[in-house]
Amino acid sequence: MPDRRQLARIGGRAGRGVLGLVGIAVVVATLGAAALVTLPSIERDPQSSEIEPLPSEQQRVCPGPVMTLAEDSTQAQAASSVGAASAVYGAVDALALEQIRPQVTEISAVDDSNSRQPPLLLTVPVEDGASLPPLVAGSQSQVAATDTIGGLAVAACAEAVSDSWIVGGSTDIGRTSLLLLSNPTTVLATVDVTVSGESGLVDAPGATGILVQPGEQRVISLAGLAPNLKSPVLHVQSRGGQVAASLEQSSIRGIEPGGVEIIGTTATPATNQIIAGVRVMAAVTEETVTTGEGFNADTPSIRVFVPGSVAATVQIGVTSADGTAEGTSSQVEVEPGIATEIPLAPLAVGSFSVQLRSDEPIVAAARTATDSAGGKDFGWFSASAPLEGSFAVAVADGPSPTLHLVNSRAADALLTLTPSNGTSVELRVSAGASATVPLSSGAVYVVSGGAQLWALVDYSGDGVLSSFALNPPGPLASSIQVYTH
Amino acid sequence: MQPRVTAILVARNGAKHLERTLRALSLQTRQPDIVITVDCGSSDATAKMLADFGPTQFIASDADLNFGQAITAAVRVTTPPTHDRELLWLLAQDSAPEPNALEILVDALEIAPSVAVAGPKVMEWIAGEYIHNFGESMTPSGATVTLVESELDQGQHDGLSDVLAVSAGGMLVRHTVWEQLGGFDPALSVVDDSLDFCVRVRLAGHRVSVVPAARVASAGDGVAGPNQSSRGRLRRRRVRAERSAQLHRRLVYAPAGALVFHWLSLLPLAFLRSIGQLLRKEPGAIVGEFSAAFGAAFNGMRVGNARRAFAKTRTLGWDAISTLRVPSAEVRRRHSLKREASLFGLHGERPEIRFFSGGGAWTMLAAAVVGIIMMVPLLGADTLTGGGVLPLSPSLPELWASVGYGWRDLGLGFVGAADPFGAVVAVLGSIAFWSPSFALVLVYALAFPLAAVGAWMGASRLTDRGSLRALVAVLWVLAPTFLIALADGRPAAILVHLLLPWLFFAWFAAARTWSASASAALLFAAVVACAPSLAPALLVVWALSVAVAGRRVMRFIGIPLPALALALPLIADQGLRGSWLDLIADPGLPVPSAHAPSLQLLLGLPGSDGWAGVLDRFGVVGLDPQLFVPILLAPFAVLALLALLLPGARLAGGAWLVALLGFGTALAANQLVLAAIGAEPVRVWTGAGLSLYWLGLVGALVIGLRSLHRFASTPGVVAALALTVVVLPLLASLHLGTAAVRKGTGQTQPAFVAAEAQIDPRVGTLQLVPQADGGLLATIERGIGATLNQQSTLDSTDQTVSAREKALAELAGNLASRSGLETSADLAEFGIRFIVLQPAETSVDAADTALRTETALDGNAALAPVGDTEFGRLWQFGETDAAASTPIPARAGGVFGLVTLLIVLAVVGSAVLLSLPIGAGREAVRQANRDAIRRAARADARQKPKRVRRSKVVSDLDADLDVPLGTDLEADLAIDRKSGVGTGLESTDGSTDDVAAEPAESGAVETAGAEPRSANPAAAEPVEDDNAR
Repeated sequence: MPDRRQLARIGGRAGRGVLGLVGIAVVVATLGAAALVTLPSIERDPQSSEIEPLPSEQQRVCPGPVMTLAEDSTQAQAASSVGAASAVYGAVDALALEQIRPQVTEISAVDDSNSRQPPLLLTVPVEDGASLPPLVAGSQSQVAATDTIGGLAVAACAEAVSDSWIVGGSTDIGRTSLLLLSNPTTVLATVDVTVSGESGLVDAPGATGILVQPGEQRVISLAGLAPNLKSPVLHVQSRGGQVAASLEQSSIRGIEPGGVEIIGTTATPATNQIIAGVRVMAAVTEETVTTGEGFNADTPSIRVFVPGSVAATVQIGVTSADGTAEGTSSQVEVEPGIATEIPLAPLAVGSFSVQLRSDEPIVAAARTATDSAGGKDFGWFSASAPLEGSFAVAVADGPSPTLHLVNSRAADALLTLTPSNGTSVELRVSAGASATVPLSSGAVYVVSGGAQLWALVDYSGDGVLSSFALNPPGPLASSIQVYTH
Repeated sequence: MQPRVTAILVARNGAKHLERTLRALSLQTRQPDIVITVDCGSSDATAKMLADFGPTQFIASDADLNFGQAITAAVRVTTPPTHDRELLWLLAQDSAPEPNALEILVDALEIAPSVAVAGPKVMEWIAGEYIHNFGESMTPSGATVTLVESELDQGQHDGLSDVLAVSAGGMLVRHTVWEQLGGFDPALSVVDDSLDFCVRVRLAGHRVSVVPAARVASAGDGVAGPNQSSRGRLRRRRVRAERSAQLHRRLVYAPAGALVFHWLSLLPLAFLRSIGQLLRKEPGAIVGEFSAAFGAAFNGMRVGNARRAFAKTRTLGWDAISTLRVPSAEVRRRHSLKREASLFGLHGERPEIRFFSGGGAWTMLAAAVVGIIMMVPLLGADTLTGGGVLPLSPSLPELWASVGYGWRDLGLGFVGAADPFGAVVAVLGSIAFWSPSFALVLVYALAFPLAAVGAWMGASRLTDRGSLRALVAVLWVLAPTFLIALADGRPAAILVHLLLPWLFFAWFAAARTWSASASAALLFAAVVACAPSLAPALLVVWALSVAVAGRRVMRFIGIPLPALALALPLIADQGLRGSWLDLIADPGLPVPSAHAPSLQLLLGLPGSDGWAGVLDRFGVVGLDPQLFVPILLAPFAVLALLALLLPGARLAGGAWLVALLGFGTALAANQLVLAAIGAEPVRVWTGAGLSLYWLGLVGALVIGLRSLHRFASTPGVVAALALTVVVLPLLASLHLGTAAVRKGTGQTQPAFVAAEAQIDPRVGTLQLVPQADGGLLATIERGIGATLNQQSTLDSTDQTVSAREKALAELAGNLASRSGLETSADLAEFGIRFIVLQPAETSVDAADTALRTETALDGNAALAPVGDTEFGRLWQFGETDAAASTPIPARAGGVFGLVTLLIVLAVVGSAVLLSLPIGAGREAVRQANRDAIRRAARADARQKPKRVRRSKVVSDLDADLDVPLGTDLEADLAIDRKSGVGTGLESTDGSTDDVAAEPAESGAVETAGAEPRSANPAAAEPVEDDNAR
C-alpha cells in the first residue's frame, strides 16, 4: 500500500504544476491580448491663437525706366536710364472699396548716371481701425526704341521682400541682364544673390553682401556676376531691410534690338507652380523645335529650376485659356541645381495657362517671343502665388492689355471687375479652368469675388510683347498660429 | 497587640491568572486577617472565582475603577485604623505571592516602625527565576526608573532595603499612613501610582523598603502596574500612560513658581519628543505623546487637587529623598547600555547582505566600466544638454523655490503647484550644491553603477547567491528602457529606473521594520514624482500589500502618504481645472515621442531598438531586426515564465503581476497624449511603465533560476548575452550619434543674454521657435533661461490660453509679421529685452515661418540685430526694465502654499526621521529584554520536539506569549539569522520565514546531492507548502 503522504506529495506537485501552467497561460494570454487589441486613445491638441497681424502701411516699388550699359565706353559697367516709364497705380480700401490716393515718393537711383526719372515708391497708409490692409496696385510700362534697345517692357510695382526668386535673363552674347534692387525700407539691406545656370551653381564672389541703402536702388550687371550664362536663375535674399528685385533683360539680334523685358519675381519654390498666362505669337510645331537652333530661335519655352538636392519629375500641363486650341501635357525629369529649358511645343497661337506639378519644390517661368514687321520683342511670363480674396490690378499703358485668370478651386468663381472709371464687368471662371478678359489701359481695376486665383496681365501688339504677374501681398502680413506654451 | 493584615485583591477579567494567585494566597504561612476581593466589572469567570474563594468581603464595582480607586473602595468598607499595626496588603489578580511572602513582609514592618511601606521582590510569572521589578526610583529630573528589572535573580540585589518606592502589586502598607495620605493619586491610573504614593510617604516622614526575601510573581496584566504586553495597541497605551503620569507628577511636584514654565513647555516638548519617537521607530507613540501633553495641560483640577493633597501631608523637603534618587551618571550608564543593545539589533542585520564578500562591489565596478565606455563622448562634461536635459537653477534657494505651491517662473509665470518632481530635482541639485546642474552629469556618470548596485541589493531579497545577484544587476543595467532613457535625455525616467530596485528592496522589508517602511514611502514618493504614470500600478501593489499584511498593515498603510503630500497642491490645481488625467503627465521638459507599437513594448522597448539604423549604416542586408530581436529576447521570457512551474511559484506569480501592471502602464501611457510643446503633442513616456515591467520580469527570472540551483548558470548567462546583443546599438548610441543627449555649455541662451542676466536676473528673452505646422512658439524666459526645476506639467498640459498669453501671442504674431503694431510698449510691458529666433527644423513650413519672422524682426526699427548665435538669431530691444515690469510677486503661494508646505514638511520629515536606521529606542530594548525572558521560559516549558500549530494548543503559556512583533528590535531579533533574508509580504505565521530561507537552505545542501529533500521529507514538507500557498 503506497504511503499516503507520498501520494499527497505527488498530488500536491501535480496540482502545483497545473497551477503553474495556468499561470503561464494567463500571463501569455494577457500579454498577447494587450499587445494585439487596438486601444482607445486620449489625445489633447496643442492650444494656439491665430494672430491676424495689425495691417501696416503698404509699399510698392516700381522698377523705373529701362537701363542700358556702356553708353560711355569708359564705363562699361555703368548703367544709365533710357527714356522714362509711365506708371499707373491706385489703391482702394479693402472693405469699403473706396479709392485711396497713394503717396508717391522716389527711390534714389544711385547707379543711374542719367537719373532723369527715378523709380517710384508708392506708400498707402493704413486707415485708423482698419482690420485689413488696403489693396494696392501699380504697374509701369515703357516702349524703348533706341539703337540698342527696342520693345515693350511692362512691370508690376512690387513689394519689397527678403527672399525672392527670379527666373529669366541671360548673359549670353548679345544679351544684357541688369539686376535692379530697390530698398524702400528704413533699414540697410544686405543682399546675397545666388546665381544658378545651365551648368549649376555659379561661383560669383561679388554676389554676396551687396549693400542697398534705405531708399536707394542698386543696379548690378548680371554679366559681372555670371558671364556667358544662357539660363540664369537668381535667388535674392536680403537681411536687414527688404528689397524689391527685378531683372531687366535686353537683346540685340545682329544690329537690331531683339526686345526688352523687365522680369519680375516668380513664385517661391513649391511643388505646384502656375503661370496664369503665356501668350504665343507664332505657332510652333515639333519640327520647329527639334530642327531649329533651340531656344534662341524664340521657341516658347519654360525654364525650370529645382533648388533642392533631389531630381524632380515635373508634369507640365499647357491649357488654352479660351479653349480654342488644344493644350499639351508632358513630363520631364529635372536635375537638381541646374536651370533647365523645356520647349513648349506644339502650340498654336493664342494664350495658354501652364501648370507645373512636381514631386520636389521648383521655380519656373516661361518665355515667348514675337518677330513681326513691327519689330522683335520677347516676354517673360512668371509663375505667381494665388490671390486670396479681392485684389486690384493697375493697367499700365500698352497695347491690348489682357488679364489671365486661373481658378484652381473646385467651385466656379464669379468675379466682378470694377474699373476706376467705367462700368463693372462680370466674369465667370469655371472650376479648374482659366479665362482671359481684356482690360483698358490706364485703369485700375478691383477684382472681387474670387478665392485662390492666379492672375497675370500681358500686353501684345505688333512686334511687342510683355507681361507682369499679379502677386498677393507678401506672407509677412498673413495670419500666423502662435503657441505660448 | 498583634498586627492585623487586610489583604485586598483587585481583579479585572483575570480568570487566567487568578487561579494561581488565589491558590498562593490560600497557601500563605501567615494568613491575612481580612481578605477583601474587588471585581472591577469582569465579563469572565473572575467574579465567580473571587466570590467562591470565600473572602471576608466581596465587592463588585464598575469596570472603570483603577487599582488605586479599587483599593480605596475596599478600604472604605473596613473599619478605620486605630493603631499603626493595621496593615493593608495590596494584591492584583496576577500577584501570586510565595507562601512565606506575607509573613516576611509583616515582619519587616514589625521590626522597623519607621517603615510605612514594604514591597516584595516581584518575579516573572513564568520565568520565575527572573526579577520582574524590584524597587523604583526617580532620576534627578523626575523620570521613573525601575531599579531592577528583567534580571536573573542570583541574590545580587538582596542587599537592597531602603528605596524610594516599590511597585503596587504586593505592597504592604500601614493603614494609618494610607489614610493619612489619602491613598493613590486618582489622577495616576496605572503608571507611577505607587511611585507617587511612596514619594509622598517618604516626604511625610516615613520610610519605604523592599524586602528581598518576600517574593511575588507578576504577569504584568495591567491591573497593578502597567500592562507589559508587546501587542501594539496595549504597548502604545502604556507608553502614553507613562508619559501622562510623568507630566502629571512634574506639575504636582514642581514649585509654584516653575509651574507656568512647565505648563508652557508641555507642547513644545511633545513636538521634540515626537521627533525622538520617529527616530526610535515608534510612530504609534506620537498620538499618545500629544494626548498626554494635552491631558496634563488642560486637566487643571487634577493637578490642583494633587498639589493640595501633597502639600497637606508633606513634612520634609525634597532634599530628604535626594540620596534615594538614581544619580545622573547611573542614568547615563543605563542609557548607554541600552543604546548598545539596540545598535546590536540594528547591525546584526548587516553582514547578511554581504555586499563586498558576495560580489556586489565587483558587479558595481564592472557596471561602472561599461558605463564609462558608453559615456565616452560625454567625458569631461560640466553640463549636459539635449532631449529633456536642462540646467538646474544655479543656487540652492532658487532650486528649492521650485517646490510646493507658489510662483512658477516659467514663461509668463503663474501661481500654481510645482510638480513633485521639482522636489526630487531640488534634492538631486542639493547633492551637487556647488553647481546644481552638475547633478545631472553625476546621474549620467553614475547611472550604470547605481543601477547595478540597486539591482544587486534588490536581488539580495530574493536570493543569496552572488552569481544570481550579479546576473540581476546585468539584466537591470542593460534594460532597453534604461538605455533609451539615457540616450534620449530623460532624467525622470533614468531616476525611476535607478530607484525602482531600491523601492522593491525597502518594500520587501517594510513589514519587518519601520525603517524600511518609511524608506519605501520616500522611494515611492520619488518614483511617483518622477513618473506619475506609475502611480496606478504602484497603488495596486500597495493595496495588495495592505490586504495581505495582516497585523503589520500599519507598516504599509502609510507608504503612499509622502507621495500624496507632495502631490497635494498639484492635485488641487488639476482638480480645479477638472483634468485629473493630466496628473500623470510626465514632469520635466516635455520630450515628444512616437506612438510605439504594442509588440515593441512587449519587448521592453519604449522606442526603437536602433538595429535598423545600425544595419543600414554598415550596409548589412538580409538581417531583419523585427525577427532576431524577439528571438534573442526569448530565453529571457522563457526563464521568467518557467519560474511559475518551479518552487517559489507564488513569489514568481507576484513578480509576474508586477510585470503585467508595468506593461499595462506602458500600454496606457502609449495611448495618452496629455501635454504639448508648441505645436507638437507630447505622449506620456512608456519607458517608466516598462521599467516596472522589467522589474517584474527580472524578478520572475531570478526566482526561477534560484530553483534550478546549479543548473542556473547556463540559462542565465545565455539570457544575459542575448540581451547584450539586443541592446548593443543602444549602448553605442552616444558613439553613433543617435542619442539626443550631448555635452552642454551650461547655457540655454546666447552668451550675450547670459552676460546681461548676470546684471539683471529678470531680463526677459522672447524665444521664438518655428513650428512644423508653420506656427510659431513664443515663450518668455527670464534671466539665464529655462531650468529643469522650473518645468511644470500645469503649464505643459494647459488647455486654455489666458488673457496674458493671448496678449503675448498677439505681440509675437505681430513681431513675426509686417505689422502696423507699435511693439515697443508691449515689449517693455512684458519685460523683454532680447528676442531669439531659433533655427527652423527640416519642415518647409517651419522654414517659411523662420524666414518670415526673421524678415519682420530685421525690418523692425525698434530692434537691433545682434547676430547669429548657437541658439539662433538674436535681436536686442533697448528700453526694458525687466525687474520693474515683471517682478516676482512676494508670497505668491499665500495661505494654501504655506499649509501645503507644512503638510509636506511634516509628512516627509516624519518619513525621513522614521527611515533613519539608528536603532530602536530604550523602551524597545526593555521590551525586547522582557520578551526574550518570556520566550526563553516558554521554550523551556515546552518539551515537544516537533512544531505544533499554535492555534491548536490553547495554553496559559501560548496565549500569553505572542510572537513579539511590536518593535523593530524585536523584529530583528525574531528574523531567522541563518537565512539572512527577511520576509516581506508573507503572512504573520511564523513558518513563513522558510520561504525566504529556502534558497539559503537549498544553497547549503545542494552540494550534498541532487535530491537533498528526500533525505528528510518531514523537514522539506513545510517548505514546499509555503511555496504552494
